[in-house]
Amino acid sequence: MVKQVKNAVKAAKRKLHTGRRGNPGNAAKYITRNKALNRLQIKLPEFRRLCILKGIHPREPKKKFEGQNKTYYHVKDINFLLHEPLLEKSREIRAYEKKITKARAKYNTDLAHRLQNNRPSFTLDHLVKERYPSFIDAVRDLEDPLTMIHLFATLPADTTHSVPFERVHSCRRLSLEWQAYVTRTHSLRKIFVSVKGIYYQVEVSGQKITYLTPHVLNQVLPEDVDFRVMLTFAEFYETLLGFVNFKLYHSLGLNYPPVLDPRLEQAAAELYALMKDLAGGTTSAPLLEDASAKEDDAPVSVDEQQSLMEAENKEKRIAESQARLASLQDRLKQIEKEKEKPQDVPVQVKTEAMDVDDVIEDEDLETRTCRRLFQNLTFFLGREVPRESLLFVIRSFGGAVSWDGDGAPFPENDEVITHQIVDRPTQGHKFLSRHYVQPQWVYDCANNRILLPTEPYLLGRIPPPHLSPFVDNEAEGHVPEYADTIKRLRLAANQQLAPLPGSESGIDEGELLVAAAARRREDLEAEKERELAAMEKSYAEDLRRELAGKSFSGEEEALADVPESEVLPPPKEDDPKDMAKMMLSRNKRNLYQAMEMSNTKKKEEVKLIKERKRKADEKERKKKTRTM
Amino acid sequence: MLELTVMKNLMIAKPPTRAILPKTSLPQAPPRNTVGEIPLEFYKDEEHIGYDRAGRKLKKQARKDQLDSFLDRSDDPKDWHKVYDEYNDEYVELTKEEMGMISRIRQGKLPHAEVDPYQPYVDWFDWDGKGHPLSNAPEPKRRFIPSKWEAKKVVKLVRALRKGWIKLDKPKEKPRFYLMWGDDLKVNEKTANGLAYIPAPKAKLPGHEESYNPPVEYIPSEEEINSYQLMYEEDRPKFIPKKFDSLRHVPAYAEFIKEIFERCLDLYLCPRTRKKRLNIDPDSLLPKLPKPKDLQPYPTTCFLEYKGHTGAVSSISADPTGEWLLSGSRDGTVRVWEVQTGRCKKVWDVGGSVFCVAWNPNPALPVVAIAVSNDVVLLDPEVGDEEVQLNIAKLLAVQPSTSEPTENTPLISWKRHDKLRGIQLSHQQNVVRVSWHNKGDYFQTQQQSCFGTSTIKAAKSKPFPQASWPPFMFVATKMHVRVYNLAKQELSKKLITGLQEISSMALHSGGDNLILGSKGAKLCWFDMDLSVKPYKTIKNHKEDINAVAFHKSYPLFASCSDDLSTHVFHGMVYSDLMQNPLIVPLKILHGHQKGVSDIKFHPTQPWLFTAGADSVIKLFCN
Repeated sequence: MVKQVKNAVKAAKRKLHTGRRGNPGNAAKYITRNKALNRLQIKLPEFRRLCILKGIHPREPKKKFEGQNKTYYHVKDINFLLHEPLLEKSREIRAYEKKITKARAKYNTDLAHRLQNNRPSFTLDHLVKERYPSFIDAVRDLEDPLTMIHLFATLPADTTHSVPFERVHSCRRLSLEWQAYVTRTHSLRKIFVSVKGIYYQVEVSGQKITYLTPHVLNQVLPEDVDFRVMLTFAEFYETLLGFVNFKLYHSLGLNYPPVLDPRLEQAAAELYALMKDLAGGTTSAPLLEDASAKEDDAPVSVDEQQSLMEAENKEKRIAESQARLASLQDRLKQIEKEKEKPQDVPVQVKTEAMDVDDVIEDEDLETRTCRRLFQNLTFFLGREVPRESLLFVIRSFGGAVSWDGDGAPFPENDEVITHQIVDRPTQGHKFLSRHYVQPQWVYDCANNRILLPTEPYLLGRIPPPHLSPFVDNEAEGHVPEYADTIKRLRLAANQQLAPLPGSESGIDEGELLVAAAARRREDLEAEKERELAAMEKSYAEDLRRELAGKSFSGEEEALADVPESEVLPPPKEDDPKDMAKMMLSRNKRNLYQAMEMSNTKKKEEVKLIKERKRKADEKERKKKTRTM
Repeated sequence: MLELTVMKNLMIAKPPTRAILPKTSLPQAPPRNTVGEIPLEFYKDEEHIGYDRAGRKLKKQARKDQLDSFLDRSDDPKDWHKVYDEYNDEYVELTKEEMGMISRIRQGKLPHAEVDPYQPYVDWFDWDGKGHPLSNAPEPKRRFIPSKWEAKKVVKLVRALRKGWIKLDKPKEKPRFYLMWGDDLKVNEKTANGLAYIPAPKAKLPGHEESYNPPVEYIPSEEEINSYQLMYEEDRPKFIPKKFDSLRHVPAYAEFIKEIFERCLDLYLCPRTRKKRLNIDPDSLLPKLPKPKDLQPYPTTCFLEYKGHTGAVSSISADPTGEWLLSGSRDGTVRVWEVQTGRCKKVWDVGGSVFCVAWNPNPALPVVAIAVSNDVVLLDPEVGDEEVQLNIAKLLAVQPSTSEPTENTPLISWKRHDKLRGIQLSHQQNVVRVSWHNKGDYFQTQQQSCFGTSTIKAAKSKPFPQASWPPFMFVATKMHVRVYNLAKQELSKKLITGLQEISSMALHSGGDNLILGSKGAKLCWFDMDLSVKPYKTIKNHKEDINAVAFHKSYPLFASCSDDLSTHVFHGMVYSDLMQNPLIVPLKILHGHQKGVSDIKFHPTQPWLFTAGADSVIKLFCN
């Protein structure tokens, strides 16, 4: 009886891992590439093209039944290709080409001409819909398309590499349309100028899309790149981005494609033209024809000037109210000798600010902060700075921009300009009313959502390090010095309940910087004091011991160390981790070890960075002492 | 030059005209030459060009050289309208009228100004009153029926139009893009062909080091960059951070297109599989174990050391009452210790390296078995009261005999050991292990195998009298454990360990659970009800495990190894069959200077004896 029960229990305890019969195995599910080519009856280049367009990639079977070094595709994928209309279409096109050559060979020019004109065409619309059934799917996969389109927008149309100029044009157009949309919705979040190019992070429909654009310089087409592959990708991405742009414009209630101002287009200011078109003609800043036309033609729109005036008035009012409140406070202090902070000051200011700003409905907090960052600031871009990038960034963060060149909305000598972006060693004529800053200032401000002090970024200086906004410094283990400074500045800016962008930035920044520096100094001093105290303490201890007839602390320690290590290994304290580690299964143990290894590697990297920092600091200190 | 040739042609064409039409408006001198209209090259090689009217030869003029002709030309202002007449071999000066003619011809007009090309037409046929056309033939039929070929052509065109081969007006251009998606925000996890959609992994976001102006600490020093050359190419960092003082100094990134191309290749050539990347704290992988504190008592600290052996202690065994401890050493001595005090009660010099010692588990009969080289010696440890001593004396006074007198070479021969006053059992080979039956009535010995493999025998059985629980013997071979049913005399089970080489074995007091220690530093727990494969394999030690042991009453087991440590585990076996045994590592005991060769639990207390190769025996208490 007991035995029967035991057997039953045995059966219950055992896990049965027997494969069921009739289930298709790997050999039925997967197919090698060559077999797939045979089944599809096409050549390899055609197959590649179809795979790229259709988004089909090889898969990894559990058992590679035809050898390790073969590429395997899922049978379903290949069958999917087999029923693709594009496959039939490409065959048709090939047959058609033959007809044309035949007509030409027979000197039947009429027919050849007619055939040439009525070539069958194809679109990739159905593939876009098939691969991305809903809009959010398309947005999720937008990183590669955007990078590719922005690259093609800067490529030279080249016949030797068969990069057709139509493709370059349409890519440029699409990229500009995208940028115009981002500017309009203020959805640019982060910018990072790297050696490779400029990274932009955009938030569209709740998805964060990070893409890379090359520096706008002449690209040299490398010889070892197969441009057919790139062009096939570009072809699909172009269609995809076109539809995405349509949807985005549609969601804003705008017409697609937007209409470009031909004059601006000629002046190579297409982005500005697009932005203007999107803005819907409300701020119809006419072109700057000549200098004389400036006065009567009012280059800055009426709205903008009004807003500026308002801002000025607002500042005055705020200053007045603050002064009044300050005096009131003093009197209160004198009378009651009590510290009573009037809570309503910032609130008042804030409400005022809210009234002035146009409030857009269903706008999240981040978009609002982005939109207001450069509000009331006016920028002028020098010839030597990357115009399109800066135009994109500044407009996305709510600033007004003009530039040195044709089609600029207002000239350099306009008085509303608060910041001039320059990147040259010296500047001949300087307006006293503006800050002459390097382009990095704009990017850093945008990344940190505060107006940083302009002083370190001024003309001719080496700017502070440009930090990547994509890095979580705390998680990484090392916080660069400048990141710390920025953090303090941000905190300080947040403590000021009502930030007034632009208005008193100069004063604020100065104060902030001074405060930050003072705090750091204090920190350093405190540390020094602590060290001194510790040293003193140990010295006193030693004295006491000496008096008592014992040896110095150092010696004693040394003496104590030696026999211990010789006599017995120190009794190890049991680590509960060690115990638990024993109980891991082999797979988990390997995983655990791999994780530990990677963690230690990461730690070592951080250590190396910290070491480098320490060395650099030391060098600097030495230099300082030498100069002193 | 061009003019001259034109004139020349004109002149060549002229002579016959002049001859035929003498009434030209220009006054013409008759030609000197009378040869007529013949090719002039007939006279090419002659000294004359022809004959005059009188039949005299006309001599060719002397050829001027270039200099003379140039001088003539420059001297004569009228030279430009002189033309050489080849026929008469003379230069002719063109008249004003002739010049006018030439200029008119060159303008594409008629040569004579007085000729009117647009004179009214004068019909040469007089129509009036004639009544008949020129031809009187009847009109052909084809003039009245439509053309067959035209009809065929039209049919072709019509067909081409109908079939759309010819399109007369260009088709209207539809807008290329339209609203493709609605407002649904459903995320699709599958592709259209029903397979799971595996999105391409996103590119890594750039860190500070990729900045055009990175912080100083991210820029490697010269030495570091040089040291990269020594690395393997795969390990070498692909990107070396660099600092630029200003944005305008940043050059185009040469690898940009190549990197994007590589990304493209990855997208369509790389097999995609979903891999779980555990971005977790590695400690979360560790199993949640009950705290060792809650599982007390277990041995934690070294309480006593038994010193006296001069060689490595190879084996120990505790007396069933827990008062005495027996130890055998490589120095050829066997000692009996008092557990409580650490006093050495008795020393036997057995005269050979001791492999194994075992105390009889029957408390009524305290006899010890010692394996020394080829012999097993049964001795009286002289503990216990008088009655017990008498019993032992009786037992050990058995007449020496050979077990199988019929055969020529007896397996084992019994002898009386006079020196130690015990029984000596001589074997043919070295005896490596001796172990008692639970009740103390039987013991078994294991000789070193002829093949040199280390086989181990251990026996354990349920009490004989109960018929339903047959006695079992466990034999560990190198890789498997065989369980024999002694009552039926058959193999009942074979445990598959998966170990490299089994070194030791211990059986739980319940009889269903077994632990094995191996040379590969692995410890296996078998639940024999569950499977013939290990329930749990623990890799706890760093070196070979020498011995494992179960406690008789407490849920404790331990393993010792050459890595100087002894691990104590909590191993609870539940009476509920559905519940798996609970194994919790409790404590790692250190203290020996050399490898730990044997361990035994105290029979009643949660204490542990460890014997080390450093000739010390230690007692760990809770």
